[in-house]
Amino acid sequence: MSGKSAHKNCLLKVIILGDGGVGKSCLMNRFVNNHFDDHSFHTIGVEFLNKEMKIKNEMYTLQIWDTAGQERFKSLRTPFYRGSDICMLTYAVDDKSSFQSLGMWKNEFVYYSDIKDGSAFPFVVVANKVDISEEKRQVSEVEARNWCKENGDLPYIETSAKDAINVDVAFNMAVDIWSQLEAEMDKQGMSNDTIRIDPNRNGKREACCGL
Amino acid sequence: MEEEIWKKYVRSMSEEAGATLDLRVQEIDNGWFERFGTILKDRNDEEITKSCTVDTGEAPKAIEDEVPEIETDEAKIIISDVVGLNIEELYRVVLYEIIHTVGADSDNNDKESLFQYLQDAFKMDEEKHSEALAEVREKEAPSILLNVEVIQAKELYPKDANGLSDPFVTLYLNHNSSHRYNTSVKTETLNPCWEEYFSLPAEDASEDSLVVEVWDFDPAETVSEKIGKFSGVKGVRGLRKLMKEIAITASTGKHDNEMIGVISIPLKSIPSSGHVKWFSLEKKSSRTTKRGAIQLKLGFSSEKNNQVAAQEHRHLMRLIVLQEMEHNKPDLQTWDGSFEGPADIILRQHAAQSGLRPADEKMAQWVEFIRLHTNQPLNFKMFSSIILSVTDPLNNGLYSDDEMKLFWDGTKRLLPSIFQGIRKLRKTYTPDKNCLIQLDAMLSIIAELSKLEVADNIDLFPSSIYGWLQNGEKKAPTILECLDDAIKQSASEWFVQLVESTRPAEVSSENLLQHAVKITQQVRGDLQRSIEHFDKIFYTRLKVQYAIMSYRIYDEKIAELVEPLVTEVCSTMKQLKFKGNTPDIENADVDPLTMGTSLFELYLALQRCLMLGQGLFPVGSDDFKMSKYHIWFYKGVRHWLDMAVFKATQRIAKAVELDDLKPVDNMTKFSSSPVDTRSIFHQIKLFWNQLAWPDVENSFTFVAKIMDDICRCSVFYAEKMGEKVASLGDVENSFGKSFVITNEWCLAVNNIDHVRQSIQPFTHELGVDTIVKNLSEVSNAAQADHCRETLTRLVENSVDTVQNKIIELMETMAMKMSPSIKRFLLEGAEIINQDNNHLDRLMSYLEENVGTLYSQLSDENFARILAILWDNVYNILRETVADGLERRRPPVFFENLNTTLDLLVSFFKQKETVEGNESYKKIKTDIQLHGMSTDQLILTYYLERLSEQTALNNPSYGMMTVKMQLILAHSLLRIEILNCRNLLPTDSNGSCDPYVKIQLLPEEKFSGVTKPRTKIHKKTIFPLFDETFQIQLSKEQAEMKSALVHFVVKDQDFLGIMSSQFVAESFIPLADIPITTMETSIHEMKQVHLQLTKPTSFDSDVFLALEHRSGEKLARDFIKRQKAKVHQNNNGKH
Repeated sequence: MSGKSAHKNCLLKVIILGDGGVGKSCLMNRFVNNHFDDHSFHTIGVEFLNKEMKIKNEMYTLQIWDTAGQERFKSLRTPFYRGSDICMLTYAVDDKSSFQSLGMWKNEFVYYSDIKDGSAFPFVVVANKVDISEEKRQVSEVEARNWCKENGDLPYIETSAKDAINVDVAFNMAVDIWSQLEAEMDKQGMSNDTIRIDPNRNGKREACCGL
Repeated sequence: MEEEIWKKYVRSMSEEAGATLDLRVQEIDNGWFERFGTILKDRNDEEITKSCTVDTGEAPKAIEDEVPEIETDEAKIIISDVVGLNIEELYRVVLYEIIHTVGADSDNNDKESLFQYLQDAFKMDEEKHSEALAEVREKEAPSILLNVEVIQAKELYPKDANGLSDPFVTLYLNHNSSHRYNTSVKTETLNPCWEEYFSLPAEDASEDSLVVEVWDFDPAETVSEKIGKFSGVKGVRGLRKLMKEIAITASTGKHDNEMIGVISIPLKSIPSSGHVKWFSLEKKSSRTTKRGAIQLKLGFSSEKNNQVAAQEHRHLMRLIVLQEMEHNKPDLQTWDGSFEGPADIILRQHAAQSGLRPADEKMAQWVEFIRLHTNQPLNFKMFSSIILSVTDPLNNGLYSDDEMKLFWDGTKRLLPSIFQGIRKLRKTYTPDKNCLIQLDAMLSIIAELSKLEVADNIDLFPSSIYGWLQNGEKKAPTILECLDDAIKQSASEWFVQLVESTRPAEVSSENLLQHAVKITQQVRGDLQRSIEHFDKIFYTRLKVQYAIMSYRIYDEKIAELVEPLVTEVCSTMKQLKFKGNTPDIENADVDPLTMGTSLFELYLALQRCLMLGQGLFPVGSDDFKMSKYHIWFYKGVRHWLDMAVFKATQRIAKAVELDDLKPVDNMTKFSSSPVDTRSIFHQIKLFWNQLAWPDVENSFTFVAKIMDDICRCSVFYAEKMGEKVASLGDVENSFGKSFVITNEWCLAVNNIDHVRQSIQPFTHELGVDTIVKNLSEVSNAAQADHCRETLTRLVENSVDTVQNKIIELMETMAMKMSPSIKRFLLEGAEIINQDNNHLDRLMSYLEENVGTLYSQLSDENFARILAILWDNVYNILRETVADGLERRRPPVFFENLNTTLDLLVSFFKQKETVEGNESYKKIKTDIQLHGMSTDQLILTYYLERLSEQTALNNPSYGMMTVKMQLILAHSLLRIEILNCRNLLPTDSNGSCDPYVKIQLLPEEKFSGVTKPRTKIHKKTIFPLFDETFQIQLSKEQAEMKSALVHFVVKDQDFLGIMSSQFVAESFIPLADIPITTMETSIHEMKQVHLQLTKPTSFDSDVFLALEHRSGEKLARDFIKRQKAKVHQNNNGKH
């Protein structure tokens, strides 16, 4: 009923982390623009795209932040971690070392984002580049799932930004987990009748710069 | 120049920030941003004061750091020179010349005064003077002179405790043994070299012999001890004192010197052509010991030997200079080397009478002035003018080898003071004109010297003095190489000294950073002075790029000092504590190191130092170590940005707290805090502009981060603003508690909007366009576009997010108004049968608040809140309707609501919005229907049926044909029912016994009017009635617009009329019936085919509204009847 001028944007900040070259930008571009560029450049510092999405009958704008994986950009990207609602940890299945870096990425995120409780945060582990031939694969699904299990039972999904496999699923999965955690948080908030520990959690719409 | 630009820049920046800022906001962090933003400004002032204090404080200390060895060496030379002065002989020579003055001087000058001057200069007592004068007056010019050059000695017998001697030579002719000639003393050597000249009057060349004695000077007292004795009295006075003692010693022969050896040479043994020969020394007392040998050049001539004359001139010059220095005290800073009065006359007489050339005089000046200079610094301007007149004769070979050697010896003594001067240059903080003149002179001396070829046997740069020369091992450096080294060394030494003298007492990172800042600034100051004062002189004289040479040294030294420090500090900096997403203000660490201010100061200092370097050296400045300075700070930038958010948040909180929610002036509709907040953004921008991060890729990311932070701060501001007004506007009066929109609320909205509006322009101010442009150069256009888009999105999202905050605040307002609106609405609706004032209180409440909003908010925001309020009011109205229905409020309740709704729609200017809106339509219908009387409702029901009937395409209940006419003049309705077709059979046998009943609706308006009916036709679904009826109406009834003619087709049951079954019905508005005169026959009327219908469903709004009134008999009966129509029919079908 309200006029367009009074329309509100609910922003949800999603951050994609992972080693350089695992295809973070490609995942983002596939998801947002359904486009794949074989010869994309490395990301400078940060970059982000918006994508509208309906969650439980409410429209959200996913603000997807793509970070630079290269080590030299480290001090440039970490300031952007703060205020994230969702974190996607990515690696490429044909790159063992990118898989081995996952722990580092998770720690870096937890440290710099100042989130109180890493275990109650919506992480998703994304194994990209499953389009490659089986012999090139360096990280098996079993191995990856084990890692996820050991690191707080993180949800795991295999994608290919190139062949458009599971990319939407991965993002939807992340949003679902966020939504679940959010609902739990709300429930807790109501049943306990206590003041929210983290005021940011309920401020969906200012997620991008939520103070 | 550059300084000015920066100053202007800072000034304009701070002016731009506006003057209305609340200083108390800055106070909470002691002006953290301002310190960042205006570091430059402060520093400029500070630098000036600093350089002043340094001028008086540090500089003099620095000047005292003379090189001690030089002093000692020079002192030795002076002593030996003075000792060697053949005072008495020279005295006689000059007296003789005065008596026999030549040229113009003789007449004009009183000889007595010249004698007086001379006696004083030579420190001759009266007795000696008279004796010498008497002797000289009688003296005839000798016919034959024995010219002796004492060249050198070797393997002398050591006399002193240190195994060496301080030898000098005394010579005299046997027959005149009181007339002795002495050489200078050579200190601490057994192989002295004198190369001194003497002319002795050889009156009896056949019998006489030359006695040459070699002495050890005063073995009881070493030279060093002697120096100690006189070092207490410095300068000319000290020299004079020493000389006086020596003079007495020499003239009386009462010295404690010890003889090393002697040789007596008969004059007749000397060939007339002269010879150079070694003579073994003997000693009478001990024949056995070897006493060493001396080399002499011996010869005869009739005139005074030129070399002797030149040497005399030098000695005379030496004495006169000293005399002049003591008595006439010329200003040494400007003295040009000339004399006046007796001194001038005596010197000129000596030169003229000894046949000396100008070149000889100049050489004497050069040698003797330098000799004095080493003890009593003279000005270089004078030296530079002397050397200009010496170089030509030098190049033209006018000087003997010995004189050449004297020249270079002198030069060798002069050079250290020149290099010393150059090395000390940067200690002069505010060089005056004289300083620059001296520098110019020094450099011109070097320029002249560099053109000369240095004699092979001269070591111009002995390592004992030039320890700082960098090519130590290499062969002797050229004078220009030496200058290069001096410049470099100077910069290097100055730097080291600067570092040492400013080194903090307590070693902490903060102190070290401040130390580095100080050093960098001082270096920059030095470079600026160099450029301003010295560079041009160096370049003009020698094409030497002084400033750049210094810069290169500093560049390396600073990098060496600062890089490890900064890297260390940056990597150990404590991360700021954040509480959730807000900086933890309460537990903030206020340690200046954590604040990062000093680090930033250092950054700026380096930046400006580098700029200076790049200005000096536009090409190739990439080689500078400092050109990578920003990389050292890499890790610090994140910290600064965090700090900026941290501080900004703190300040915003304070700004909101201090905001009294009054417009800042008559022109504006916002209060103080958004101005403060914008100024905080401005400070962040200032910081960013100052940072001027040189690397493009990083710049982009930093800007993105800053934009993100600005958004954070804006949202934070919005929240704080919202909290501030949250409790305002609650009023309580006779009507109860209520909420009134106050100006403060509007200001809050405007404030947030004001901050929001600053976000977009902020991007430009951050120089995003430039960054993107540079990116496309460094990387490629596609990637640059990417980055631009990212920033654009970031800004858009930021603006949106703050917009959301505004909307939230508006929603809060609307929500706060809700209870009042609801109450007034309800109260208004409940007022039954009174004047139309049921709306008054609601509307006046709305008008009051909307009025405030209208007067205070921008058009855009007013439209927004109007929409939100409308939304809210509409929902409340809807709830009220629902509630009213629930509680079965009377129709007037809804009728009131209906008028209210219409009024609200126009009040909120929502006509366009509600048009076509289903929800609105529904509620509008609802309140309209529920607001009607039951009769009206029933009529409405019939009208609805009529429209259904008209819309029907497929008459499944059959058709009816009639002719109708309304004779309005007589209020007579005439109807002919012709037939019905395709009636739906009600009987099980597939047929029925139909008849048609006519009645007029609404029933209550036509009560008493006949309801005629046709005959019953048996067993047909196509009955042909052909019956005409006349229905008499009243005039009012005939003219009733909304009246309907209602045809009901019924099936006569076997039980009779009373239990007839409903078959179908049809409606036609009375108004549709053609109006005719009485004369018109019904047969002339057109046939009208009416479709027959039945009630199909009972869920229409009208029907539901009727059902809602089932408590009312009329409605209840009606509903029953209507439902029966379907019911009976269904039964019939079975």
